[in-house]
Amino acid sequence: MPLSVQNVMFQNAVEPMQVDAPPEDNDNNEEETYIVENPSLDLEVYANSYIGLAKLYRLIFIIDHCPSLRLEALKMAISYVMITYNVNLYQVLHQKLAEVTSNSSIPDVAAQSTSQDVPTIDSMWIETRSKKAALKLEKLDNDLKNYKSNSIKESIRRGHDDLGDHYLDCGDLSNALKCYSRSRDYCTSGKHVVNMCVNVIKVSVYLQNWSHVLSYVSKAENTPDFVESQTKDTNLLTSTKLKCAAGLAELATKKYKSAAKHFLQANLDHCDFPELMSANNVAMYGGLCALATFDRHELQKNVIFSSSFKLFLELEPQLRDIIFKFYESKYASCLKLLDEIKDNLLLDMYIAPHVNTLYTQIRNRALIQYFSPYLSADMHKMATAFNRTVSALEDELMQLILEGQIQARIDSHNKILFAKDVDQRSTTFEKSLQMGKEYQRRTRMLILRAAVLKNKIHVKSPQRETTGQTSEITVAPGTSTVLAARN
Amino acid sequence: MLMENINALAEELEKQELEAVNGIASPQTYERLLAIYLYQNDLCNAKYLWRRIPPTVKAATTELGQIWAVAQHMWQRDFAAVYKALNTVKWSDTVAEIMMLVQDKVRSRAVDLISQAYSSITLDTIASMTGLTIEVVGGACVEKGWHVEADTHIVHPVRPKIENSGHISSEDQLFKLTDFVSFLEN
Amino acid sequence: MASALEQYVNTVRNLSSQGNYRELCDYLGKSNEVLLKNAPHLDNVLETLDLQQHSLGVLSVLCAKFNLPNSANTADNKFVQAQDFINGCNGEQIRLVPDLFSELCHSLTAYLIEQKQPMKGILLLKKAISKLQLYDSQLTLIHADLCQLCLLAKCFKPALQVLNVDITGICQEGSHGPNGAQFDAKYYLLYFYYGGMIYLAVRNLDRSLYFLEVAITTPAHAVSHIMLEAYKKYILVSLLLHGKVQMIPKYTSQVVNRFIKPLSQPYHDLANAFASNNSVELNAVLNKHTEAFSRDHNLGLVKQVMTVMFKKNIQRLTKTFLTLSLSDVASRVGLPGPADAERYILHMIEDEQIYATINQKDGMVVFRDEPEKYGGPEVLKNLETQLALCMELDRQILAMDEEIQVNPQYVKKASGMQDEETPSKSTYAM
Repeated sequence: MPLSVQNVMFQNAVEPMQVDAPPEDNDNNEEETYIVENPSLDLEVYANSYIGLAKLYRLIFIIDHCPSLRLEALKMAISYVMITYNVNLYQVLHQKLAEVTSNSSIPDVAAQSTSQDVPTIDSMWIETRSKKAALKLEKLDNDLKNYKSNSIKESIRRGHDDLGDHYLDCGDLSNALKCYSRSRDYCTSGKHVVNMCVNVIKVSVYLQNWSHVLSYVSKAENTPDFVESQTKDTNLLTSTKLKCAAGLAELATKKYKSAAKHFLQANLDHCDFPELMSANNVAMYGGLCALATFDRHELQKNVIFSSSFKLFLELEPQLRDIIFKFYESKYASCLKLLDEIKDNLLLDMYIAPHVNTLYTQIRNRALIQYFSPYLSADMHKMATAFNRTVSALEDELMQLILEGQIQARIDSHNKILFAKDVDQRSTTFEKSLQMGKEYQRRTRMLILRAAVLKNKIHVKSPQRETTGQTSEITVAPGTSTVLAARN
Repeated sequence: MLMENINALAEELEKQELEAVNGIASPQTYERLLAIYLYQNDLCNAKYLWRRIPPTVKAATTELGQIWAVAQHMWQRDFAAVYKALNTVKWSDTVAEIMMLVQDKVRSRAVDLISQAYSSITLDTIASMTGLTIEVVGGACVEKGWHVEADTHIVHPVRPKIENSGHISSEDQLFKLTDFVSFLEN
Repeated sequence: MASALEQYVNTVRNLSSQGNYRELCDYLGKSNEVLLKNAPHLDNVLETLDLQQHSLGVLSVLCAKFNLPNSANTADNKFVQAQDFINGCNGEQIRLVPDLFSELCHSLTAYLIEQKQPMKGILLLKKAISKLQLYDSQLTLIHADLCQLCLLAKCFKPALQVLNVDITGICQEGSHGPNGAQFDAKYYLLYFYYGGMIYLAVRNLDRSLYFLEVAITTPAHAVSHIMLEAYKKYILVSLLLHGKVQMIPKYTSQVVNRFIKPLSQPYHDLANAFASNNSVELNAVLNKHTEAFSRDHNLGLVKQVMTVMFKKNIQRLTKTFLTLSLSDVASRVGLPGPADAERYILHMIEDEQIYATINQKDGMVVFRDEPEKYGGPEVLKNLETQLALCMELDRQILAMDEEIQVNPQYVKKASGMQDEETPSKSTYAM
């Protein structure tokens, strides 16, 4: 879905430079068009947590998925884009707005806003803004040339960074990435290197080039100066940025457990990265990933008793409740609360594609944990605890047993789940005999293969065959009749 | 005694077939070999034997087809049909004795299977699986110590206990096992 | 008798009595044309030669006879002559010309197939193999012929005796001349392909898969139809035996991945549908590709795959359930009704594929654990046999290793430059 946002943008791009959309290395390209009906999101507060492209992209995601917030989000996005040089996006947003207002006979949209305060497209603005952008670009370019002729490293580095900032402001991601990357050659201290990395990471996140994000995170973390001065405030700030970016990349590539681990290392007092995500995001992403992938002990140690992450959870009280209910084995209410926050999660561009997977995993963990202390469990009671019918529960359990996640068997007649003890002795015997058989098979083939290679037996290309025998590559005619008869 | 030598007889018949002039053995050889394969429950080989018997021999020897009919029902595991096919034919001296053994064998397999596979089963099912009348079956069940519910005609077979030949050598076994595994791992 | 033939007879006699077989072989190589030209008199030549003493000479004449176009009067006695020859010839002599001897057997096989009397050649070819072999586990070019005859005769027991011996060496074809020193890959492939089919026919799926795997991992620089057919069957047997397609070994020739896999798409579709555990999906694939499957003569096997899917699904149930009603079994695995489920379960119990008891009274089935299989002394014995087998194989490998270590070529290569082509240590990493 985030992808679609970009595609739309690039389709409308006027500037030829923007056409080379980055190749995506994640494969969740399947277009899921869904609509969120009843979010409880406070758009104003939400939008204020971000700046720059982060704000715009997130708003666009909401515009595309939530009719009830569409107009409001569009207005916010348009007024925000006007303080940037991103003329393309301005036009895209207006196009979207035109689509909405042309359908605005729908009463509930009209009810939300009076049609007067709908902004209209300002072609004057487009023109002057484009000119200004071009002027600024020229100036920065000239500055950089001067620095280069004077070959003052630090100035050149800054010149590149400034140029990168400007491209980013214009929404030209690939040029921004180029400029930020070029500053690398002029870094004179570890701090500069880290700064360069953070810039590259930021743009790579916008481009959704996750492998790039991860490699620059590790590059930054391994910069000597950075490692040595861990305690300083600015470094804590950077370190949290890096953890968050890494977590996001892992989340996007479905590595939920390591995503959770990254997010859990964030520090609230130094969590200031509005170009990417808010502290609330860190809490939500980290909390859900942890819930979906941690066992009970890990959850207790790394989430519930974590003094730093506790502060994050305070920001999202619903999530805190969910985690505690889960930990207290109150699954029914835990699952109910999860359902309540689902709509809002589906409006978050980064976690939305993973909500269903994460929810299933959380459910499965709950089922496993519910049963773990028992030798047998009444499936009727279990079904109530999980808001499910008994037969739906039976299917869910069957899957878990087949996956080996629950060691149990179902007594379908009496609807009881029984723990199954594994006969260690038998399985050991079975495994070793199996291993022995496999060894024999492999060795036999090895001996045969050695003989084959020694005799240089191989299928040759028919062309090189001196005799030109066609029968070389055909099955002897007699066989087919045999086969036909046998089958 | 036929039963004890039956495997040797099979080998002898197989040899006869292979050495037959022009590759065609006598109808008696085919008949007896086919019947013995049934006795051995070797339906695969029975099937291929049937397929390789020359059509002329099949046409001339109706009994061959009758033996094959039994085999087909055995392939389908349709017990009732097997008994029917066995008992509607007056077998010639060539195979009569073997076919008798086949019937015994099939029946004892059926009884084993029932005791393995059922905790409760209707008397009718047992009768059709063994090819015996309800009356005979009822008596036989009681004799075997299987409980028969008089009103419902439900029988509760008893699963034979597997002989546990004792765990005398647990440690010895473990030792051997370790040996084996450590060999494989190196 | 024409003078050319007289000269042939004399040369054969002289060289044989001198024991100068090498020269005789060379001579035979050149006299083929003479024999073919004088076809009507070949029987006379045979009468003047002795099976034991002049095996090479007789062999050459017989080959010529089989090479002649079929005519009514020669057709009759050549089989008997070949039979007498194979039974009575001198093994030492014919081992000098394995390619010629094999050629006779190929011709004989082709002749019997044409006459629709494959049964007649089975014992004869077994005899021929044992004459040509230096040891039991040596593969000859005649192995494939034997298997082909057995398949056509639908008589598998004699072939199994040969197939059950694992091949450890290969009979070098034609020890004379540098060009003839290669064992034709066709007969190697055919042996393992036919072998796979024979094991399949007698329901020894494990061995069948092994043979097919050998066939598809044969080194190849080109696509062989035998390999392609073997690959298709490999997929099917793999599904029948393991319920999924086994990974093919890394050392498999690139040809398989690049050409054979794309040519077997219907089979891959089938395997994918099988993996879904959904009988409806599997049926759809079956219907879609029926034509392809029946063209390959694999339709029967494909249908077996269908049955196995039901069984596999029932086995999955035994892992998850203690009790289940027969109608639930039917609906969960996609069978029409409880009676079908009961039938499947009954068969599987008999075949010891599952452990369960059916309760006809309640229409329930109770799945049980496997009974303690590893209790008795027979387990120990089994373990010991397996261990002995493994150790024996290990010894063979060590012996081979040693052989390679002292092989001057290997020593040269190991100490000098690397050459990719050599079957040296690198082949051990299979």
